[in-house]
Order: sequence, then C-alpha cells, then structure tokens
Amino acid sequence: MPLIVIIDDDVDIVEASTLILQSRGFSVLSANNPNAGYQLIKEKNPDLVILDVMMDEPDDGFFLAQKLRREKNNVPILMYTSVSKTIGFEFGANDMVPVNDFVEKPISPDQLIEKVNLLLNK
Amino acid sequence: MTNGKTKILIVEDEKGLREGIKRLLELEGFQIELAERGTEGIQLGTTNEYDICILDLRLPDYDGIEVLRQIKLIFPNTVCIMATAFASYDTAIEATRLGAFSYIPKPFTPEELLYQIDKACQQRRLILESEKLKKEREERLLELAYEKGRLNTIIKSIADGLLVVNSKGEIVYFNNSCLKNLNINSLKIGEYILHKIPNQIVGMINQLEKDNDPNQSLINQIEIINNNGLYVEAACSPIPFQDGKYSGVVIVIRDITQYKKIEIIKSQFISMVAHELKTPIAAVIGYLKIILDENVNIPAEKEAEYLERSAIRLSGLVELVNDLLDLSRLEVKEKKREFKEIELVKLIKTTIEFLDLEIKKKNIQVEFSSEISEIKLNADSSEMNRVFTNILSNAIKYNREKGKIGINISIDENYFVVKVSDTGIGLKEEDKERLFQEFFRAKNEKTRGIQGTGLGLSIVKRIVESYAGKIEVESEFGKGSVFIIRLPVVN
Repeated sequence: MPLIVIIDDDVDIVEASTLILQSRGFSVLSANNPNAGYQLIKEKNPDLVILDVMMDEPDDGFFLAQKLRREKNNVPILMYTSVSKTIGFEFGANDMVPVNDFVEKPISPDQLIEKVNLLLNK
Repeated sequence: MTNGKTKILIVEDEKGLREGIKRLLELEGFQIELAERGTEGIQLGTTNEYDICILDLRLPDYDGIEVLRQIKLIFPNTVCIMATAFASYDTAIEATRLGAFSYIPKPFTPEELLYQIDKACQQRRLILESEKLKKEREERLLELAYEKGRLNTIIKSIADGLLVVNSKGEIVYFNNSCLKNLNINSLKIGEYILHKIPNQIVGMINQLEKDNDPNQSLINQIEIINNNGLYVEAACSPIPFQDGKYSGVVIVIRDITQYKKIEIIKSQFISMVAHELKTPIAAVIGYLKIILDENVNIPAEKEAEYLERSAIRLSGLVELVNDLLDLSRLEVKEKKREFKEIELVKLIKTTIEFLDLEIKKKNIQVEFSSEISEIKLNADSSEMNRVFTNILSNAIKYNREKGKIGINISIDENYFVVKVSDTGIGLKEEDKERLFQEFFRAKNEKTRGIQGTGLGLSIVKRIVESYAGKIEVESEFGKGSVFIIRLPVVN
C-alpha cells in the first residue's frame, strides 16, 4: 500500500485530500507546515509527497522541494497551487521548482487520483 | 550736437586767430570753447566730450599730435581737425594714424574753415549714428543671449531628461536629467551616441527615421537599472526639416520608478487578495466534492462536520470581503466621516458587552480601569467601534481558556492611552514588525486553527493613524501581548 505524505497549512484541504486518497486505498500522513513535513518525509520515507506552495510560510513549499532535491531525495512531488492563474505565473517543473507535477486548487477527487497514479506508476 | 548746439574746442596759441575763429563760428551757431596751451587743451578735451576739436599742431608747451593722442584716448569719437602752417607729410601721416579727421593748412580763409567744419559735422553725425546702431545691436544681442540662457536654464533644471539626436546619431542637445535618467556619466555635444543609449530608444529612433512621419511619436517604458532600481518612460518625436524631411529626434526621458514600484505593490496586493479569497473556496469545494463523489467513503459522523467546516470557512470569506471593503474605503477616503462627540469609556464598555458571548465561552476575566471617568473624542463612531472591536476580539481569540484581559485608559501629555493586555499566546520577536501588514498572520503551532483574515490589525492601524494617533505592541511569546493605542487629545 503506497504511503503518501500531504503537507499543507490548510487543515480542511488536508482533511479532504486525506479522505480522497484513503478511499482509494492509499496510506496517508499529513503535516501542517514545511518543517514538520520535512521531518515526516525523513522518518517515513513516503512513495509520494503532496506539497502545497504555502507562500506565507517563511520556508515555503518551493524551499522544501529544493531542500529535498539538494539532499538527493527524489521522491515524486505533486504540488498544490492556488494562484498560478491569477498571478500569471506559469508553473513548470524546473530547477527553481523541482517538482514532478502540479494540481490547481480547488482539487477534484478524480484529477487528484489520476495525477497520483501517474506519478506512482512511473 | 546730440542736444542742441555743436560743441567745438579750439586749441590755438595765437590769440588773434583763436578769437577770430571763435567769432566766426559763433556766428554760425556753434558753441565754442578756447584753450591757449596744450595742457589746457588736454584738460578740457579729456573732461568734456566735444563734437569737434581744432588743434594747432605747434603749441608752446606741447606738440599738437600729443594733444590729439590724449583726447582720442578718452573720447575716440571727437572729430579732430589739425591746423598748421608747417604741414609735412610725416606729421600728416602720424596725425591720421592717431585718428585726426582732416588737415587745414594755415593761413586759411573763413570759407575754407567752414567747409572743413561742415565736413567734420557730417563725420560726427555719422559716428554718432553708427554708435547708436552699434549700441542697439549689442543690447539686442545681450537680450537674446539672456533669453537663450534663461531657456537653457529652464531646460537644464527640469526633472525630465531631454536628448536631441540628429540624423547621423550625434548628440545635438542634452540636459542633466537626461544623464541621470539614462544612468550615463557623461555625454558630449557632437558625439555619436547610439551605442551609449538603451536599445529600445535606438529602435524607436530607427523606426521614426524609416517612417518619416512628422506626426508620429513613440513611447516605451525601459528598465535602466534592474530590479526597479531605475525605470523610465522614453517618448521620441521626430524633428522635421523645413521641407518636412526627417532631421533627427527629440527624446523626453521621464523617471517612472516610483510609479512602477506602486504598480508592483498593487499587483502583489491583488495576488495576495486572490490567494486569500481562493483558499477558503478551495477548502469548501474540496469538502463538497468528496461529499458528492461516490468513490469517496465518508464516515457518517464526518459528513455533518465537513458541512459545518464549510460554513465556517464561508463565514470567514464573508469577513474577509468585509475587511477588504473597509480597507478600500479607508484607502480612497471615499466614505464620508461622520464626526461627532464620542465618549471613549462608554464606547469600550459597549464593545465589551457586545463580545460578552465569546468572553464567557472562553471563561475570560475582563478588568477595566480608567484614570479619567469621561473622555470625549471627536471621531467617526463606526471607525472607533471597529478599532476597539478588532483589538478586543483579538485579545479574546488569541487568549487562553480562563485567561485575563486588562483594559486601562490613561492620559499621557497630549494623548489618551488605551492599553489592552491579554494572557494569550503572545508574539515572536520576528512577527512583531510585520503584525500590522496586510494579510500577515503569525504562523505557529499555537495559531493554527484560529480563524482570521489577516486584515484586522492593518485596518486598526490605518484608522488610528488617520486620527494622528499611534498603535504599538509589546509582547512576550507564550505569555501575552499588550496593544497600546494613543489618540490625540483635541480641545
């Protein structure tokens, strides 16, 4: 049973995402800030990380993704974003944002599951 | 001659001749003065400007040439006639060299003299006329130079940069602001500059030359120093020749850095607002989708909880929209303030009563004390209400169960001081400074789960400052915070 770690500061998003993933048979652990999320990844070594951008945290989601890659941790990362369209910033996987894919909030169960399966089957 | 009679000085040592000439010329209407010796002649001729001087070449004390030299030195426009019985070629040449007008050999007849005098008068008139014209021209040139200088000073002083380039790409004119706004150390008139100025400007110059349309102007915004160090707007207009053909461009370079910075702040604010609006919506949609999705199994007891959470998030959203509206009203000052006399003690007590339910829910004890029993403020009551509601509801929201809230009013010189203290979670040092910024919310394990828009305190700060007041915070993380509001005492 694949283990997924969700890191998002919005408790409701974490709750809804957890339920979607659990319904499809995934094990889910969560953290509400990048630091706690980092510890969880180190301890549990998950198969996939769902990471929110968390722009208002001092060390945001981007920072955590970069930190993991610097440590040669290549766990697939699916990034939650909420304002990419509004600020006109085209998110894409690159050195600045070393993640594997993006999901635009609000999340829909089908889309989330599709992206998770795609990353896990690679 | 300029005003009335022509003045003539006669320097002649021979008494009979001297007096004879005087009588003759006075009859003709001239004003005559006489000198017997050279010294006397020099003295008179160099203190007053005579129209004409008749100088004897041989005087007992001086050579007539010397008298001529001295007079001409002071009054070069005096017309001098040399009279002599010993005319020689050499003296004639010397006298002419020194500026003598003519030569009259002695003895002369009255007709001969009058003929010479008449010619001298004409000469004098010509000299005076040309002097007058020369003076006028000089004055006009001076005026023109002054006018040009004034225009130059004005152009040099304006904040907009001005650069004029000819069709060969050489500088014709530039001002100081041009150097500043293009971040160039120095330019020289006549130097080729297309390699020195930003490519965008060169592009505009080339375009204008190609199009050759005298009515076309091009405007571009150009980043001169990265990261908004210097941003300019360059407006290029062609300068046509008289035949309408392109002869160069005039470029006005305006510093718009401040404007750009405001634009960036504005767009940052909008994306922050969008983020804040979208976050609760995303949470609610998330819950609704899992409730509606047949593939997601929700434990029965959870469904009601998710709907409850959705309602809470939507209430938060409404609160946020209200805060945003308040903020924008404060920003544009569109809302008319209704100033009236407010009793501060009463206002705070009413606010406490209004929040009674929340206070009781958390079992919080409120202590109120005031040095002064009655404090009158002239303010908009809805704004003052907002200030104390926000501050007090924060003191409740971030307090612990069975905590305390202290409200103390005192007077300090020209300010009423309201201190609101709580026994809540307090603030970390790094959060204190950003506390009053829009959308800032202290994030730590203790604030998680506490709802807020992140706008409450920035609204409070704006209102307080609009009344020339001040707000500050003292706090210790884990122990509590004190918010201190100072409002000026107005008589």
